[in-house]
Amino acid sequence: MSVPDTDAAGAPGARGVGRRRGHQVVDDPSTGRSPRLAALFLLPAALVLTALVLYPLVYSVVRSFFDRSGDEFVGVGNYVDTFTDRRTLTAFKNNVIWVVVAPVAVTGLGLVLAVLTERIRWATAFRLVLFMPMAISLFASGIIFRLVYDEDPDQGVVNAAVVGVHDLFSPSSSYPGAHPRDGAPFTATPEGFASTGTFRTGSAVTVPLVGFAPAQVPANAAAATAPTAGSDELRGVVWLDVSAGGRPNQLDGAEKGLPRISVEAVRDGGVVGRTTSGDDGRFTFPGLPAGSYQLRLPADNFELPFRGLTWLGPSLITPVIISSWIWIMTGFAITFIAAGLSAIPRDALEAARVDGATEMQVFRRVTVPLLMPVLLVVFVTLVINVLKIFELVLVIPPGSSQEEANVVALQMWQVSFGTGGDQGVGSALAVLLFLLVAPAMIFNIRRFRRERS
Amino acid sequence: MTAATAPERVRIVEVAVSGSPRRGLLSRLVGRLGDGTVQVALAVVALFWLMPVFGLLVSSFRDETDNNAGGWWTVFTKPAQLTLENYEGLAANETVLRSFLNTVLITVPSTVLVVVISALAAYALSWIEFPGRGWVTTVVVGLLVMPVQVALIPVAKLFGALGLFGTITGVVLFHVAFGLPFAIFLLRNFFTGIPRDLVEAARMDGAREWLIFAKVVLPIGKPAIASLAIFEFLWVWNDLLVALVFADQDSAPITVVLRGQLRQFGTNIDLLSSGAFLSMVVPLGVFLAFQRYFVQGVLAGSTK
Amino acid sequence: MRLNRLSGALAAAAVVGAAAACSSGGTGAPAGTSATGTDLKGQTVEVIGPWTSDEQKHFEEVLAAFKAKTGAEVTYTPAGDELPTLLQTRLQGGAPPSVAMVAQPGLLAQLAKAGSLKPLSAEVVKAVEDHNAPIWKSLGSVDGQLYGVYFKAANKSAVWYSQKAFDVVGAKPPATWEEFISTGKSVVDTGQAAVSVAGADGWTLTDWFENVYLRSAGPENYDKLSKHEIPWTDPSVKKALEVLGQLFGDQRLIAGGAPGALQTEFPKSVINVFDDQPKAAMVFEADFVAGVITANTKAKVGEDAKFFPFPSVGGSKPAVVAGGDVAVALKDDAATKELMRFLASPEAGTVWAELGGYLSPNKDIAPDSYPDDVTRELAGQLVDAGDNVRFDMSDLAPSAFGGTKGGGEWKDLQDFLATPADLDGALARLEADAAKSFGK
Repeated sequence: MSVPDTDAAGAPGARGVGRRRGHQVVDDPSTGRSPRLAALFLLPAALVLTALVLYPLVYSVVRSFFDRSGDEFVGVGNYVDTFTDRRTLTAFKNNVIWVVVAPVAVTGLGLVLAVLTERIRWATAFRLVLFMPMAISLFASGIIFRLVYDEDPDQGVVNAAVVGVHDLFSPSSSYPGAHPRDGAPFTATPEGFASTGTFRTGSAVTVPLVGFAPAQVPANAAAATAPTAGSDELRGVVWLDVSAGGRPNQLDGAEKGLPRISVEAVRDGGVVGRTTSGDDGRFTFPGLPAGSYQLRLPADNFELPFRGLTWLGPSLITPVIISSWIWIMTGFAITFIAAGLSAIPRDALEAARVDGATEMQVFRRVTVPLLMPVLLVVFVTLVINVLKIFELVLVIPPGSSQEEANVVALQMWQVSFGTGGDQGVGSALAVLLFLLVAPAMIFNIRRFRRERS
Repeated sequence: MTAATAPERVRIVEVAVSGSPRRGLLSRLVGRLGDGTVQVALAVVALFWLMPVFGLLVSSFRDETDNNAGGWWTVFTKPAQLTLENYEGLAANETVLRSFLNTVLITVPSTVLVVVISALAAYALSWIEFPGRGWVTTVVVGLLVMPVQVALIPVAKLFGALGLFGTITGVVLFHVAFGLPFAIFLLRNFFTGIPRDLVEAARMDGAREWLIFAKVVLPIGKPAIASLAIFEFLWVWNDLLVALVFADQDSAPITVVLRGQLRQFGTNIDLLSSGAFLSMVVPLGVFLAFQRYFVQGVLAGSTK
Repeated sequence: MRLNRLSGALAAAAVVGAAAACSSGGTGAPAGTSATGTDLKGQTVEVIGPWTSDEQKHFEEVLAAFKAKTGAEVTYTPAGDELPTLLQTRLQGGAPPSVAMVAQPGLLAQLAKAGSLKPLSAEVVKAVEDHNAPIWKSLGSVDGQLYGVYFKAANKSAVWYSQKAFDVVGAKPPATWEEFISTGKSVVDTGQAAVSVAGADGWTLTDWFENVYLRSAGPENYDKLSKHEIPWTDPSVKKALEVLGQLFGDQRLIAGGAPGALQTEFPKSVINVFDDQPKAAMVFEADFVAGVITANTKAKVGEDAKFFPFPSVGGSKPAVVAGGDVAVALKDDAATKELMRFLASPEAGTVWAELGGYLSPNKDIAPDSYPDDVTRELAGQLVDAGDNVRFDMSDLAPSAFGGTKGGGEWKDLQDFLATPADLDGALARLEADAAKSFGK
C-alpha cells in the first residue's frame, strides 16, 4: 500500500485506468487456465517466502515461549520479562512518542509545503531537494545528524548557531570560570563573589583569584603588587594567584594582575561604589565616607561562556532523532500529497465557490475532506515506518543516552544479537513488533478485498 | 495504494514530480501571502534540507586535525583546509574497499532475483487462472508490512544449519525474501492493468504462456519493473540491519563496516564522513539519473 | 575494557613509540631459539583473533616466526569486535578455526563447558606455570583444567597526564587518591579541568570503578563482587562509589562537568588532554592510550605524555586491573598443539613486544624487548603486581551486565556520573541489573 487511491477518495472526477480493475478476467474462457503452469510460475516465490518469511514467523511465535537456550518451555515468561524490563519499557514508551508525534508532524509539514510549492516555479527543484534524503541510507543520515547536533559548538552546526545568536545578545565575560580559591574569605552569592568580612576605609585588600589559565590573561596585564590606601579610600588588587611554586594567597612577584574586573563596594546591602581594576589589577574606591565596606566581584566578570544545548543528552535525544526522521520523510509526504492535490477535481471546488464559500471554507470543507484519504495513506505509511525505526536510533545517540533513545526494533536486535544473546525474549519482542504492525496488515487486506469484490 | 493501479500511479507521480500544470485555487488560498514571501520561505527550507549533507561533505574534505579544531563552516574563511587526504586514506583502506565491493555483490543479485521471481509470480497472479488465486494474492498483501525482525532469529538458525550464515548468499536470500511481497504486489497491479485484448490476441494466436509473459507482458511492464528495480536496489544498498545480522567480516557491506567505526565518532570523523559519502554516491547518482522512476519506486514501496 | 574495543583505524595506531619499533624490525624469532622446532611442513593452522590493521600485521609477524620455526602454514582471520559471534557461527557450522584469541573469560568458560575447547597438554601447562603469575593460569582454566594461554595483556591501571599541565602547577605524579584529588584541584586553579572522563563510553567508567574498588575493598572482595557473591549494595561498593564521587561529584575537576563527560568518547578524552588546546590535565585508561596519543595528537609519549599507576586508596598495595586476549585451541592436531606451545613461550611474545603496542603477562620476556620506557614500565607493573592483578570485572560478568552499550553496569555508572549525589539509587540499580543478569 501507499499510493493514493483516487477512487476510494471519492473524487467524482477520478479518471481512467483505475476503472480497468472492474474487468474481471476470471470467467473468460480464453484466459490461461492451468494450475500446473501457475504453480511453475509461482514456485520460486513460494519457496523463498515459505522458507524465509512464513516458516520464520511461526517459529518466532513458538520460540517466544521458550527460554534463552530454547530447551525449556516458559509460557509467557518472556513477555512478562519484556514488560518488566526497564530498557524495554523505555523502548515501548519511545515508540508511543514516535507514533504520536512524528507521523503527524511530517504529514502536517508535508501538507503545508505541498500547498506552498504550488505557488513557485521551481517546485520540481524544491521537491527534488526535499526528496533527496530518501536516497541516502538511514545509517548515513544518522552520521549526518550526529554531526549536526554535536554538543561542541566548534563541531555541531546547531549549537554553533545557538551560541552565535546567544552571544550576539549577551557577550561573554572576560574571565570565565575564575573564582576565589576554596577557603578564601569570599563566598559565592547570586550577585557574585562577596567578601565574608568587611574592610575599613584606608585598608588595602588583596583578592586572589584562581581557575583561569595564566596564558589567557590579557597581554596588557602587569605584575600585581600590593597597593597602599589613603584614609578616605579603599584600595585593593585582584590578581591571578597561580604560578609554579607560588604560595597560595600571596603576591609572588611574577603573578599578573587581572585588568578590567569590575568591583563593587557594598554597605548595608546597597552598592555604594563601583570601580574597575587597572592593568596591574589594582582598583580604588576614592572618597568613600569612613566606615566598613564589603567587597563584591559581580558574577558577570566570570560567567562561563554559553555552550549551547546538550542535544544528544538523555533529555533531548528522542526529539533530536525524530527531527532527523522528519528531515528524511518530509520529501515523501510532500510528493505524495502534491500528487493528491493535483488530482482534486477543480469543478467541485468551483461549485463550492459559486455557492459563496470563502477560500478558507473551501479549504476546510472541500479540499481537506477530498484529500483526507491521501493524508490517511501517508499517515499510515509513516506510522508503519516509525514502528520499524532502527538505524537512526542505533547511530545517533552516544552510549550515555542510548537507553533513553531506545525503541522496540533496536531492543529486539540488541537482546537477540547484540550482547544479550537471549533469543527467547528477542522472539517475544519480534512477535510484539509484529502485533504492532498487524492493524496495518489487516487494513491492507480489507482494502484489497473490498476493491476486488 | 492498494486500490491504485500502476499506470495511475505513474501518472500521479509524473504530475507530482513535474509540478502541477495549473496554478489552482489552493494557490489562491494562500494568496494573501506575497509570492516573494513564499519564495523566500521555501528557499530557506530548501537550504535547511541541504545543509546537513553539505556539512558532512565539507567535513569529508578536511583532515582530522582541522575537523577537531573547528566546524566545517570555517572553510568559508579558510578554504585552504580542503584536502583529499580522507579519501586517499579511504582508498588505502582495504577493509572499506572490500566492503564497498560486498555492497555491490549483495545489491545487484538481490535486485535481479527480486525482479525475476516477482515478475513470474505476478504474471501467474494476474493472467493465469487457478484455484486459490485470490487467497494467494491476499497472503502477499498481508506480507507487505511484515517487519524483518520476525525472521531474524529463525533465519539465523536456518542459515547456520545450511552454512549460509555469514555469506553473501545468505544476505541476498534474506533480502529477496523480504523484497518479494511488495515486488509481486506492485507488478501484479501493473500487469492486471494491461489491456486484455493484447493478451487474448496472443492466446488466440496460440502463443504459449511463456511467450506471452516474455513478449507481451514484460515489455509493457517496463516502467513498473524499472521503478521496482530502482527501489529494490536502494533498499538493499542502504540496508544495515539485515547485513548486521547475517554478514560476517568477509561479507560485510559498507554500512556494517562503517558502523564498526562509530564508537569513536569524534576521532573517526575523517573515515566516517568520507566513507559515508562513498556509500551515498551510488544512490545519489541513481536518484539524479532516474528521478522519476526513483520517486515512483520509493513512493510505492515506502512502507516496506 | 577489552583492548580490541578499539577496532579499526584506532587500533591501527596503537603503536607505542612507533619510530623505535621500526628500528628493531620484526621478522623471525629472536636469535638462538630456532633450532628446536618440530617439522610441520605441509600442515596448516588457522587462527582467528580480534586484531585488525597494524595489530594484525604485528601478530602476523608472530605467526611468521612460528612458520619459520616449524614450516607449518598459518592463516590469520581478523574478526574485530564480532569475534564471539563469528566463532559461534563457525562452531555451529562445524568448521572451527584451530586457535582463537578470546577477550572474554566468560566466553572461554562457556566454550569449555560446551566441549568446544581442547585441553592443553602438560607441556603447555608447565610453560604457563613457568612464565606467568598464577592468576593467569587460573583465568585460563575451567574446573582446574587449563584451556587458555594468555598471550596479550592490557594494563588498565594507568593515569596519563600532560607534563606541561603538571609543570604549570609544579605537580608531581600523585601516589594516593588524596594527592590525586589535591593535584587535580591545583590544576583547576590554572583554569583547566583536572581529568577528562570518557563518560559517553560506559566501559571507561567500569574501569574507573574497578580500579577504585580493587584498591578500597581489596582483591578478595573484588573476586566476590566479580562473581556476584556479594551484592552491589554491599558497604564496600558504597565506599568505592563515595571515593569515586569525590571526583565525579566535583564539576570543576571534570572536563565539561558531568554533562560534558557524558558526551565525551574515549579517544576524545585523550585528545582533551594532549591536544594543542587542552581541556584537562589527566586521563585515565589502559596502556592503549599511548596509541591514541600518537595517532591523534602531536604530544610525544614519554616526554609530553606520561603516566602514573592508579593512586592508592587508603594505603592499598600496588594492584593492577588487567585485560587480555587468551589463546584457546579448538582442534588438537600436531600443528595446533605446537602453536599453543609456541604462544606460551617468551619467544612468541618477544616478537610482538619488539614491534610495540603490546604488553605480555609473560614475566620472562626481557624488559629490553619493549621498545620504550613507558611500555617497559607498564609491562613491569603488570608483572610486579603478581597476584594482585585482577581481571577486568565487567569482562568477567555476563555481557548483559558488563558489556552492553547503554545498559547494565555501563548505564548505571553513567547515571552515577550524571548524579553522584544519588548514591543509593545507583547501588540499587546496579544490584537490580546484576541480579537479573547473573540470575539467568
